[in-house]
Amino acid sequence: MTNKRMLRILTELNSAGDESSRSRSLCLVCSKIVVVTGAGIMIMTDDKQRGSICSSNSVSALIEDLQYTLGEGPCIDAYRDDQPVTEADLQGNGFARWPGFAPAVLSAGVRAVFGFPMRVGGIRLGAMNLYRDRIGPLSDDQHADALVMAGVAARVFLGMSAKELEDNSDLRLNVHQAAGMVSVQLAISVGDALIRLRAYAFANSRPLDNLANDVVSGAIRFENLGYN
Amino acid sequence: MTNASSVLKHPLLARTFVELADTLVDDFDVVDLLSLLSERCVEILGVSSAGLLLTSAEGELRVMASSSEAMRAVELFELQSQEGPCFDCVCSGKQITNSDLATAQELWPRFAREALNAGFHSVLALPMSLRGSVVGALNLFSDQVGLMDEQDVVVAQSLADIATIAIFQQRAASESQVINTNLNIALNSRVTIEQAKGILSERLVIDMAEAFSHLRGYARSHNLLLVNVAQTIIDGTLEIHR
Repeated sequence: MTNKRMLRILTELNSAGDESSRSRSLCLVCSKIVVVTGAGIMIMTDDKQRGSICSSNSVSALIEDLQYTLGEGPCIDAYRDDQPVTEADLQGNGFARWPGFAPAVLSAGVRAVFGFPMRVGGIRLGAMNLYRDRIGPLSDDQHADALVMAGVAARVFLGMSAKELEDNSDLRLNVHQAAGMVSVQLAISVGDALIRLRAYAFANSRPLDNLANDVVSGAIRFENLGYN
Repeated sequence: MTNASSVLKHPLLARTFVELADTLVDDFDVVDLLSLLSERCVEILGVSSAGLLLTSAEGELRVMASSSEAMRAVELFELQSQEGPCFDCVCSGKQITNSDLATAQELWPRFAREALNAGFHSVLALPMSLRGSVVGALNLFSDQVGLMDEQDVVVAQSLADIATIAIFQQRAASESQVINTNLNIALNSRVTIEQAKGILSERLVIDMAEAFSHLRGYARSHNLLLVNVAQTIIDGTLEIHR
């Protein structure tokens, strides 16, 4: 029952090609889907900014760099509070919120910024930022697109292809139970465990949820697979 | 579906409403509350299984809570993202009922087969509506053929309405952006809990249902939210022992 919102994203991702996961094209898709001036994705762990994985243009790259350097901005807040962040008028309200960040990006032409947390369950990855060169809030439709897009970007970052996103097999609850189990079996993070599961399913041409059933039942144990 | 009148069960129903009203005043855990609600549906309405599904912003129908954490029960809810009474209920915004699943093989080929295999013979899906849009469904299964008592359907619908309030009351749910954000957070918290269940089940060598009650027990005895306990387990900052 995938809706039009998701279909649009999948179409864009497909035309962006396989390399979309860690390249500029993922951010171009974000920016195009929500219809903003630019988009960037910042990866964070343990409340530290780890760096940008992509930005759709040079201003977005600046937004990422400044947040990284200053430790303040929409991505940082979105990640910390685990909530979408909207600043529709950077000059009007943004200065008090981000005294270092706001003036610097304003002079680069940024007028409104938005941050959306990226997570898959308890796997917290970072945040997607969007900016616009004019003042104003996101419409309800754009906001909904941004929420879905941030979720998709998180799943792409964990290795899901457009085809797998379409099947939605990674949304089955048993897949996440299996990821939790594999993380203990291999002593890795749940995010890494999800990547391992997905890679194993792909290499063995098995649907992810079908593999997850075997992990949950104990039929497959990852520490016995000999590639950790 | 059930012979006993809902009036006879009113004490538990009243207690459930009071409990829920109490919970809604404080900070509460959505998955915990909705799981409790599903369990109470089974007790009050005399059905065999109950579950709550929500529509994600992607348009997928996803499981939020189930009266049983057994994989088989959860799967019957999950497969309704493709077909079944909940799918139809969310599309139409109307109550969908089927009093004899043996007659539903053409309507819902896969769902009817799986439900019958699991021992269920009738089903009811009730819409969860908020300001004119349908955000999910309450799904009730019975191991008996037959229609549910009309009065019980009214009770079930009011429980579905309470579930809706529970999900959206945390902030003044006046705009679509807030509604979508809350839906997103609720669905993500369910996934968080599943990941933590996996970790616990592997560490403590217990099944998923036990892992869930373990998590819940820990959250309650330490006065913490279920999702926060789950998150700290995933982050590796909390270890729960048997």
